[in-house]
Amino acid sequence: MSNDHGGLTSTVDHKTAASTNYDAVIVGSGISGAIAAKELCEKGFKVLILEAGPGKDLSLNGYEKYLDNFYTATSKDNNAPFPRNPNAPMPRGTDVDSLRPGEPNSANFLVQNGPLVTDTTYCKVVGGTTMHFESKTPRMLPEDFHMKDRYDVGVNWPIDYKELQPYYRTAEKEMGVSGEVASQNITDTDNYAEGYVFPMHGMPPSYLDQTVGKGLNGMKVDMKGEEHTLQVRPFPQGRNGIPNLEYKAFNDGENFVPEGAVSLHQAEIGERCQGNNNCTPICPVQAKYDARKTLAKALRTGYADLLPQTVASKVVVDDSGKVTEIEYKHYDSMESSEYESGSFKGKIFVLAANAIENARLMLASGLQSSSKLMGKNFMDHPYLLTWGLLPEVAGTMRGTVCTSGISDLRSGEFRKDHAAFAIDIHNDGWGWATGSPYTNLHDIVDHMNKYGKELRHELVNQISTQLLMAVMIELMPDPSNSITVSPDYTDRLGNMRPIVSLSIPDYTLKAVEKARQVTRQIFQRLGAEDHTSYDPLDFGYVSYNGEGYALRGGNHIAGTHIMGDDKATSVVDKYQKSWDHENLYIIGAGSMPSIGTSNTTLTLAALCFMSTKKMLEDLI
Amino acid sequence: MNAKTLETQQFLQLSVKLTAFSEFQLQGTGQLEEYYDAVYQIIGEKNMIQLLTTFDEIQDDTGSDEVAFDKQFRAKVLSDEKLGPITRSIIKLWFVGTWYQLPKSWNDTFGLLENDKTYVISPSAYKEGLLWPTIGSHPMGAKAPGYGTWSAPPEIPAID
Repeated sequence: MSNDHGGLTSTVDHKTAASTNYDAVIVGSGISGAIAAKELCEKGFKVLILEAGPGKDLSLNGYEKYLDNFYTATSKDNNAPFPRNPNAPMPRGTDVDSLRPGEPNSANFLVQNGPLVTDTTYCKVVGGTTMHFESKTPRMLPEDFHMKDRYDVGVNWPIDYKELQPYYRTAEKEMGVSGEVASQNITDTDNYAEGYVFPMHGMPPSYLDQTVGKGLNGMKVDMKGEEHTLQVRPFPQGRNGIPNLEYKAFNDGENFVPEGAVSLHQAEIGERCQGNNNCTPICPVQAKYDARKTLAKALRTGYADLLPQTVASKVVVDDSGKVTEIEYKHYDSMESSEYESGSFKGKIFVLAANAIENARLMLASGLQSSSKLMGKNFMDHPYLLTWGLLPEVAGTMRGTVCTSGISDLRSGEFRKDHAAFAIDIHNDGWGWATGSPYTNLHDIVDHMNKYGKELRHELVNQISTQLLMAVMIELMPDPSNSITVSPDYTDRLGNMRPIVSLSIPDYTLKAVEKARQVTRQIFQRLGAEDHTSYDPLDFGYVSYNGEGYALRGGNHIAGTHIMGDDKATSVVDKYQKSWDHENLYIIGAGSMPSIGTSNTTLTLAALCFMSTKKMLEDLI
Repeated sequence: MNAKTLETQQFLQLSVKLTAFSEFQLQGTGQLEEYYDAVYQIIGEKNMIQLLTTFDEIQDDTGSDEVAFDKQFRAKVLSDEKLGPITRSIIKLWFVGTWYQLPKSWNDTFGLLENDKTYVISPSAYKEGLLWPTIGSHPMGAKAPGYGTWSAPPEIPAID
């Protein structure tokens, strides 16, 4: 069998791979696996990368097939571009349903044990979840690494911000971050020392951002007796913009060159964002970073074998705990349940399948970690959506999905009492909350009985004035929030499916209440009509202090193989090496002991770069 | 002009009224024939002829009097049990490229139509949706306006 990956890879079939001794066997072709592969291959080590999902997407044609899937999908959800694959299923937001009390819901891939149902998703295709992520790249704050010491909540990390800082820079280069450092000075600590600039200038703020900023900048908010001043700030993002010439100082004297589309032939696209307003679920021109860009670098060394449609089914260890092999199931067709199995051998093994899938694979292999924390401390950012209509046309539905937001409530003494939060201004309007603009069209045609001119006027009134503020709220590690497995729930290839148990503690619910209050004040200040409402029948409905809210999953899954400096209280060390298995790295956001108020990808990428230094030491 | 061309022309005239986009703009989408054919396949010849004939009669009757047209169009088409739901699905088709299945009440009265299901007609139908230019934007994921354009105020086209 010969795999066509657009000429970007050496071809390998699973039998050949199974009889090869690799330096490293990597499970997962998302950002963690791609970084590990690239760093090892560039030093001449031979790696095998397993991907459970299909892998036609390294060619431009394969990618454009995803785009057509998106155009013709009646539901434009996060996984709309990607085919349903019963051999390596993935969660889909549209599959989610309310829970009947006392009974897990196993109707869809992610078995929901409650009490809160989550619509969090991830992606099983080459490139992993970066294929549909939004690519917002704020760093975590220095204080986020010391939550226990500083605020007496959560846990401390085994590393501090300073130790991770050089790797943040490496990750920002790899992901091609556009941003302005000045906009990121959220705390009084100097987090970006020495005149640092991002590789590219910031994405210009949208007209919507400017409209909101005009009314909002300077607004004072009381946070437990502490006054915070709000302003609309642009976010750094892994998206190609205009290179910053000053970045030379951080790039060995060279100008930064944006990484364009992944393609066999030279393709003149992807070098700069064009404003498709579709970062999630798919950037049509590949101006957004996705892990295939890193993967392509690994494949071009000639030292990487990529094997798609191959599901890691068991991690096998010897008596000393050393991993001897990884068992797999390879399928030729997504349409058939037929598969062949075997095992792969290497000097080191790297699980890079994401926080849910890493824990799922380890637990399915009977490896709970001597700390008993494998799969525990599951985290994700709950999102509270609030939406209103501005008093003027703000040109909603233009720009990247999100260019700016409010980051001033990410830090403060209030974190002793309740969670911090960050607010996104969504350039794509109410879509996430209500299904707009489609729902607006239905309402105007079917209920307001308009057509022609009146219909067009009403579309502008209802859509071009939309403001959706999505509030990302911190969730602390809690061992009772977990991923588990059970032989009762398996997929078509017989692999055990993840079971998620999730509840939201008062620490976070208090922040939900505060976030709703602050967003109400923002709408009041802007003279906007607040249309926010939460249906008690919503799958994400929670009550707190006499009021109800609907929460959404953040797709920032983390914590399930938490890192620490004590084997008894953590699964991996600061290099993401398993305490129990000397040649096993379990990498990704699953290692993060807390998630602060940052989208997790940049931080997990930085952690992966740090881990690869240790991997190289192991191999040399 | 052969029969099909004539009917496509009538469908175009109807679509101008439904969308308030000009013939020129609707032709410019390149979607006219695809939509006519799709709707014909879904609702069948008899329903198509009834819709177009009713529209023609109202046009003839009301001439350039827009108020009179609106009154008759609401009375004979939009509030008609059979033609109303079909017309509303045609409006939505033009605006987002998706045919929306007729309501169950329609099926209860007039029977099931084999090809009547909710679907996006084609990738180009999605991209040519009229909703996007209506709000001074572009379909999400297509026809990108270019780097940084989103910083300027939207240009919402005037309706003649």
